[in-house]
Amino acid sequence: METRDKLIQVTDLEKHYNFGKIKALDGVSIDIDKGDVMVVIGPSGSGKSTFLRSLNLLEEPTGGAILFDDVDITKKKYKDENGKWVKVDIDLHRQKMGMVFQHFNLFPHKTIMQNMILAPVKVKHVPEEEAKKKALELLDRVGLKDRADAYPIQLSGGQKQRIAIVRALMMEPEVMLFDEPTSALDPEMVGEVLDVMKQLAKEGMTMVVVTHEMGFAREVGNRVLFMADGKLLEHGTPEEIFDHPKHPRLQEFLSKVL
Amino acid sequence: MDSFIQIENFSKISPYASLFWQGMLVTVMLSLFTVAIGFILALILSAMRMSRFYPLAFLGLDKEGHQREKGIGVTIGKFNPLDFLATAYVEILRSTPVIVQVAIIYYGVFGALIELPSFTFMGFIKFERFFPGVVALGMNSGAYLCEIMRSGIQSIDGGQTEAARSLGMSQFQNMKYIILPQAIKNILPAIANEFVVIIKESAITYTIGVQDIMSAVNAVRGATFIIIEPLLVATAIYFCLCFPTSKVIAYFERRMSRGDKR
Repeated sequence: METRDKLIQVTDLEKHYNFGKIKALDGVSIDIDKGDVMVVIGPSGSGKSTFLRSLNLLEEPTGGAILFDDVDITKKKYKDENGKWVKVDIDLHRQKMGMVFQHFNLFPHKTIMQNMILAPVKVKHVPEEEAKKKALELLDRVGLKDRADAYPIQLSGGQKQRIAIVRALMMEPEVMLFDEPTSALDPEMVGEVLDVMKQLAKEGMTMVVVTHEMGFAREVGNRVLFMADGKLLEHGTPEEIFDHPKHPRLQEFLSKVL
Repeated sequence: MDSFIQIENFSKISPYASLFWQGMLVTVMLSLFTVAIGFILALILSAMRMSRFYPLAFLGLDKEGHQREKGIGVTIGKFNPLDFLATAYVEILRSTPVIVQVAIIYYGVFGALIELPSFTFMGFIKFERFFPGVVALGMNSGAYLCEIMRSGIQSIDGGQTEAARSLGMSQFQNMKYIILPQAIKNILPAIANEFVVIIKESAITYTIGVQDIMSAVNAVRGATFIIIEPLLVATAIYFCLCFPTSKVIAYFERRMSRGDKR
């Protein structure tokens, strides 16, 4: 157990609305290790998207802690070893967390190439030529090299999502967050996106995936979390979760989706 | 029955053509300066309205630096003085008539508080009347342009900001590279419309003695007792100013939207 390399430590994460009347997240604690492919499943409204979006603070949690690189990013500022207050620069942490959205969120006024190199060039100050070379390599990997000069509107949903994945990879993140990446896709395009994600997992990328694709969870995930009502009810290996579910809510959920 | 327009009246007012010419120049100058002031003001106002300036936010943090959930400190912490001032400004200027604002600026601010030097420029534009007119119109259109800009920026899908921020871009970079390029495209028709409105609205400044097109109409009427024909001349001049302006902007709008719809 000691050899595990913790990347993100989540403790008692809470997200309350209306002064605690609505609890989107109700005390979620989990460690995410390097190389984990963590799949989050659960009925809609269970808080799994909120959990994922809290990890890079697109949702601001109202309680608990998220330790990333030994910094609690839920705080606005912290005391360093010299006792000085330091502001938490969330932009810096977000650079290390790639995110893929349900609705792709490509920039419609920019070409695929511009979409990909914008953040590396402007945020990390990578030379443009270098960024372009890297972008072409990544596009080649997902079979879209010839679409570099296209605009997002000219692509299919599956192509857009593959672009969104490699756009996030351009920043060389330590972890990739997927927020229902295949839910907005036509069924025949789901496979091509999942293939890219499988490939990523094989290469050892740390991933947190919110999905309804149970096949993917079982095949690719090494840990599965089951959430309901903002609580983390059960977690374990895919075999434990899918073949020997313990919690009645999980048993009920699985009987509906499998 | 006689036609209400009499052709010979046009030849009677033709000696006053230079008045109309000067009036048109004044109107054009007035509109250009108003647009410039209004645009800059609107940029500042909309930035204020969308700013995240919470000087009292620390009242909403607990001892460890966490955002607290509730309490009076949280409520006060959410107060944004810049947003409050800009919103108050916009709402007051949008809820009162321009003619009143022009009068207050001319008689109130520049009549009683600040004394303007009295001179003419370009040969016939009286600075001490022209300047308050420009200030009043600029302040007014700034309020309207601010709302146009703000709604344009807020019409961009929130997912765009989320994507940009998740890539590590700062809020400023997100605005510069992602939101504004898309927003400007969306609001161009509304801004163009506002420019045309300014040209027409500038007629109101004749009430404080700015010698624009409308004041030329009055001058001719006073001298010749001819009413309809000067008005028709003024109508024609306003049309010739406004119609091409909207067409030119429509052309640029088409050119800009070509980009992503290929």
